[in-house]
Amino acid sequence: MVALPDWMALAPALSLALASLVLLLADSVDPDTTNTGLLAGISVLGSLLSFGFAGWFITAGTGMADSTGVALFNNQLVVDQMALFFMAIVGSVTTLVVLASYDYVAEHSYQAEFFVLVLLSATGMSLLSAANSLATAFVALELVSLPSYALVAFLKENKGSVEAGLKYFLIGAVSSAVLAYGISLVYAATGVLRFDGVATAISSGTVQTIVDGSVQAQAGDPAVPMAILGVGILMIIGGVAFKTASVPFHFWAPEAYEGAPAPISAFLSSASKAAGFVLAFRAFAVAFPIGDLLAAGGAINWVMAFQILAIATMFIGNFAAATQETVKRMLAYSSVGHAGYVLIGLAAVSGSGEGLSLSMSAGMSHLLVYGFMNTGAFLFIALAEYWGVGRRFEDYNGLGREAPVACAAMTVFLFSLAGLPIGGGFFSKFYLFQATLNVSAWSLAAALIINSALSLFYYSRVVKAMWIEEPTGSRTIESYPMGLYTAVVGAALVTVLLLPGFNRVSEIAFQAAQLL
Amino acid sequence: MSNPWIAIGALAVVALAIPLTMMAVSSLLRPSVPEQGKRTTYESGEVPTGSSRQIKFNIQYYMVALLFVVFDIETVFIFPWTVIYSDAAAEFGMTTALLPMVVFIAILAIGLGWAWRNGAVQWVRSPRATKGADTYE
Repeated sequence: MVALPDWMALAPALSLALASLVLLLADSVDPDTTNTGLLAGISVLGSLLSFGFAGWFITAGTGMADSTGVALFNNQLVVDQMALFFMAIVGSVTTLVVLASYDYVAEHSYQAEFFVLVLLSATGMSLLSAANSLATAFVALELVSLPSYALVAFLKENKGSVEAGLKYFLIGAVSSAVLAYGISLVYAATGVLRFDGVATAISSGTVQTIVDGSVQAQAGDPAVPMAILGVGILMIIGGVAFKTASVPFHFWAPEAYEGAPAPISAFLSSASKAAGFVLAFRAFAVAFPIGDLLAAGGAINWVMAFQILAIATMFIGNFAAATQETVKRMLAYSSVGHAGYVLIGLAAVSGSGEGLSLSMSAGMSHLLVYGFMNTGAFLFIALAEYWGVGRRFEDYNGLGREAPVACAAMTVFLFSLAGLPIGGGFFSKFYLFQATLNVSAWSLAAALIINSALSLFYYSRVVKAMWIEEPTGSRTIESYPMGLYTAVVGAALVTVLLLPGFNRVSEIAFQAAQLL
Repeated sequence: MSNPWIAIGALAVVALAIPLTMMAVSSLLRPSVPEQGKRTTYESGEVPTGSSRQIKFNIQYYMVALLFVVFDIETVFIFPWTVIYSDAAAEFGMTTALLPMVVFIAILAIGLGWAWRNGAVQWVRSPRATKGADTYE
């Protein structure tokens, strides 16, 4: 096999960026184009290419020969198995979303802009997966966020969409500021921004500096001020909580997901959440190793913080979802609840930092499965919006008779989200459960079980409405849009296939987490 | 060696003295012709609408300001690059030194070209912004 140059390791991110530039060029050639097929085609091609590269690199074992992965640009970016795993999630979700958007944006103006913004945001997510320094991570995070603010407000004639966009933007700006301040405090305390440098500073207790790309102690061996470091880490937790829609920064999520066009809700709740989590996993596993942090005087016990956040997020998300009247808002709150499940990945760790690779790989696997089932569920909502079906549970009554294939797919998504053994969601939740038992975190295990049982109640309300209830009003479905159907059915197929295929996923995730 | 802070103090004095002198001299020399156009808020030659407390500019000015930022950032990166370019080209070869900047500028050019084609720099005059402004233009 030909050995590719090192920079090619970024191919998953580069193909997304390239596709967005090609889209801009296509739109420059003909600004008034309504050729949705061409625009969506370029986008699907770019995101499929990204997914393909990520999948190829994972199977080819890129970045496994070296313990640090493929380091680029003076270690600012590192492509290892974990980065590739998340690049694959981003690539797959983006493919589904742009495929489904083909029908959704067909009647809107500014189609090219829509696809360009989705792809630019996806580029940011892909880069964030590989970011190995707080500064790079921040820039990538902004590249994720800025297009998504515009995308939420894409339906600019629709007041709900504009309001959601503004709320999302304001909360996002505040949490970006919090994150930037946290980063500056960590930098002030440790003297470095690179994750491995921060880790060295914490374990050695002295301020570090980077000379010619290698981390060294600063002259005079000044000690790391642990209190400042602790405040910085706390603020970084806040920034991560916003991006992943976890308590206490979750309240933008229901608003933004409800107001945004449904494919964008799918994109934000799956890919954007995954991007937030990859930052959290890498930063907390590599830069702030819990064992060293506690040994060095215990600036902050972030495992404890994540345990509280995980339990609070699970309960608040799921209980709020159970009381909703509209399906999209219910899914939005359930997505908050799922952020709580994935947070177990950073919470189910023993006091000395053991069990981190197991719990993190469980979180990663859940994110991958969730990427398909949650995207699929939101895309079904997009389908319902396309047909003009109402927003409430009752409006879905009897939909199963008119669109059996799509409703069967939706049933798979919902039961898989609840954790029934009909899709990969069963095994990923079980894996998370194992991770909690591994370190005897009984409260996390109990919260996981209680909330999964509760979620079954509200997910089955939709299923009951679709299949059992009689249709209330007259409703005619005139067309069965190709792109949306392909995306929904494809996502359902993968969700089911992840049932037998979960073993492989969890193996890759475990290996990736161990390599960190 | 005298205290280097003296130079900084002198700079501050000069910085204050120049504008004060200019204002004083021009107030002695100029004829006084009060006029509405001279009292409006000035921002890059844009005519504001509304009262002086809530000044509103034509929204297209915002697009131009955004495009300005593109060139601004470009300058920030090009200046240090030009300074080290010949050394870098001698040490690492021309491709390594030149190509990244070409890619960077190409990305900006694609964005600018797109904005141009989509009418971001096309100046449409809104009747509200130009109302009453024609009297002193």
